[in-house]
Amino acid sequence: MSTVRYFLKNIDKIVDYTIEHIALISVAMALALVIWITTGILIRNREKLAGNLLGVASIIMSIPSISIYGILVTVPGFGLSRKSAVLALVLYAMLPIVRNVYIALNEVDDGIIEAARGMGMPERQILWKVQLPLAFPVIFAGIRVAMVMMVGIATLSVYIGERNLGRLIQQGITRTHMDMVLTGGLLVAALAIIVDGVMALIQKKLISPGLHLSE
Amino acid sequence: MTVEIILDILRNDAPRLVAQHLTIVLISLSIAIGIAIPVGILLTREALKPHANKIIAILNTAQGVPSLAVIAIFLKFLGIGLVPSIVALSLYGLLPIAQNTIAGINSIDPGIIESARGVGMPKRLVLLKVELPLALPIIMAGVQTSAVLVVGTAAVAQLIGAGGLGKLIFTGISQFRPELTIIGAALAAIMAIGFDRGLGALKNKLTKHYA
Repeated sequence: MSTVRYFLKNIDKIVDYTIEHIALISVAMALALVIWITTGILIRNREKLAGNLLGVASIIMSIPSISIYGILVTVPGFGLSRKSAVLALVLYAMLPIVRNVYIALNEVDDGIIEAARGMGMPERQILWKVQLPLAFPVIFAGIRVAMVMMVGIATLSVYIGERNLGRLIQQGITRTHMDMVLTGGLLVAALAIIVDGVMALIQKKLISPGLHLSE
Repeated sequence: MTVEIILDILRNDAPRLVAQHLTIVLISLSIAIGIAIPVGILLTREALKPHANKIIAILNTAQGVPSLAVIAIFLKFLGIGLVPSIVALSLYGLLPIAQNTIAGINSIDPGIIESARGVGMPKRLVLLKVELPLALPIIMAGVQTSAVLVVGTAAVAQLIGAGGLGKLIFTGISQFRPELTIIGAALAAIMAIGFDRGLGALKNKLTKHYA
């Protein structure tokens, strides 16, 4: 009950925090898409390089997110700024996006590529008109995972000065204001679930029925 | 100078904090395995199978809930300290294992189960000697995912007083002493990678045994 009261009393602040939260992950996702999809495409035929890069990505993934923020803050030029928060989120998106782009492009049936080549398509067209469309469902699945993950990791960026829903949790803990913490926790959870749901809807809309991943 | 500080931390604080972190992870992971595998098995039994899809959908959604949110939600009800941290971590680590248990058992060729029944195996034996061994690689993959998640999340659990490597990381952030954060992060990452590799090797060994 007291949690509901807290929520209603602070609704203005909460709306602000939610917008900030979404703004942060949107910026990071836009950057991540450009960087990591390009990376995935560039390494598609270089098995060894891909193995090394994906190894690095999975090491980044296993570093607790709070410590990536802690480290970036000390890097000259980043410091306590949105740049650090965005860069951390972009780094965490590396594994799901690069891996899925790489795997999906390589899983396109060789026969199909051969056929496209046989019809006289240049490599660039094969990539854009054949491989990428066929790989799209798997790539999108990776983007969806990265997006949901970002909601959670963005929460911790309050420790380096961001103001988003995580702030309710952080401030609530330091003030032992349990209703504040619970409100923050529930809202972050809800945001993650909503983002996942929205991505699922987009997935349904964007992907042709013939290409749907079997779940 | 910095090297001396780092060596000092590694000698004095690190061993205790690594041990603490490892204890939290091992306890949480054991609880998660102990709950998730039986629940996963129950959800693949005939009686519950029709509901399994719905429950898996709920589990999938729940997995998206960020770790800090899980910890925050539990804080209100359980307070701070080691016990609430372990409860939150176990719950967080439970989902991948349960999901993989269900997926692993459901992916077994029905013909194999049918023939096990055909040779007169009682249901319990079919589960223990046929279904579980065949599902083991997928279940172990779930444990692997869960272990890496729990090692990382345990660092965040420091916020509610769990102790462990999170202590180094958060102290480093609040005191602007990057060397603390980097050591904490590196040790946590090494631990996560160690769990991943170790469980992977165990998986290969177990799978070979049954193959």
